[in-house]
Amino acid sequence: MNSLVLLNGSPRGERSNSMKMLARVAEGWERGGGRTPEVLHLAQRSEFDRAVQAFGESDVVLLGMPLYTDAMPGIVKLYIEALAPRVEVAAAGERNPTLGFLVQSGFPEALHSRLLERYLEKLARRLGSPYAGTIVRGWGEALQMMPDEANKKLWARLRTLGEQLARDGRFGEEELDAVAGTERFSALAAALLSVALRLPAVQFMWNRRLKKNGVWERRFAAPYRPALRTGR
Amino acid sequence: MRITILNGDPDPASAFQLYVQQVAGRLADSGHTVTTLNLRDLDLKGCSGCFGCWVKTPGECVKRDDSARVCRAVIDSSLTVLASPIVMGFTTALLKRATDQMIPLVHPYFVVQGGEMHHRPRYAKYPALGLLLGAGSNCDAEDIEIATAIWKRTARNLKFRTVFTAVADRSAKEVADELARVA
Repeated sequence: MNSLVLLNGSPRGERSNSMKMLARVAEGWERGGGRTPEVLHLAQRSEFDRAVQAFGESDVVLLGMPLYTDAMPGIVKLYIEALAPRVEVAAAGERNPTLGFLVQSGFPEALHSRLLERYLEKLARRLGSPYAGTIVRGWGEALQMMPDEANKKLWARLRTLGEQLARDGRFGEEELDAVAGTERFSALAAALLSVALRLPAVQFMWNRRLKKNGVWERRFAAPYRPALRTGR
Repeated sequence: MRITILNGDPDPASAFQLYVQQVAGRLADSGHTVTTLNLRDLDLKGCSGCFGCWVKTPGECVKRDDSARVCRAVIDSSLTVLASPIVMGFTTALLKRATDQMIPLVHPYFVVQGGEMHHRPRYAKYPALGLLLGAGSNCDAEDIEIATAIWKRTARNLKFRTVFTAVADRSAKEVADELARVA
């Protein structure tokens, strides 16, 4: 049976959307015959150090993360930098684990995550690791708001991807496409959405929280606006 | 022109650090007001994804650290230069940590921009963006291409206008003069 280390790169830690998704992939991995994975949260200092060590001890590593300003969160980049010695190890002929990734973003379209996917694929090459693929998924924040029941289809697909990883050592292209959902909006959808987003009701997710916190009136605050400069 | 340089090099003794200093010096000599923030010297706690900057203290990170100083210096500039060596194929974790904490500069509301979902601007004016990369021995053309493409996307999301990208393989004088010209 192959071993898997599951790395959660979300700064939110255990209660993150990334972890919710990774947990389903792990269920599929076990269903596919893999050993129960070790789960490590990079946001926890002690687990971060263990994650660096675990990289060299496992058959497969699955690194999941939210998209932060169009790339990996700072904590994930720090982890990647800590793997630099593994590049030398691979150059010396020692094997590195198979690498798979999961990237989820708050935007609905998958296209926002594609450049990071390209970086991650190159990272696997840099480390000399067999590349299992990258699971890309938009609307990640919606997972936080919806009951688990509402995500049944997504969970099933993620389990299938986990099974594929255990069985084939990589994710199936068809299943990856299905999980990714909308790649980009059609011109018509973008135009309709552009109008719809002007309605306050459509921004309910933010408005509800702004009102609850008593800062609705300050929602457009611009605290770093430069003060008017006088003369010289 | 007011220019902010965010230097993401963790090593104060590196050749890239010296290069950034030379670029900053040349820009200052040409009459520009230059603020260089060496990110390694700042207390940056990193973004925890709490969205407090959008729904609790609109426009400001809830953490008491130097991220406010970074955000203020960016918004206060006409040109912001992100400077970083390439490490493991991308700009440093230090620079990423700092830019993760820049999301208070935009508003949580979604808008459609260029056919894609993005965030609404919070400010009437944002700086132009320059990207200055240091290519180390383990860095190839593909790394530069990917890093540049990612930062151009980030700039778009943060409402900056990317006007300049360069690898630190030309003279600091040449790069500084070009930066001043295109901004």
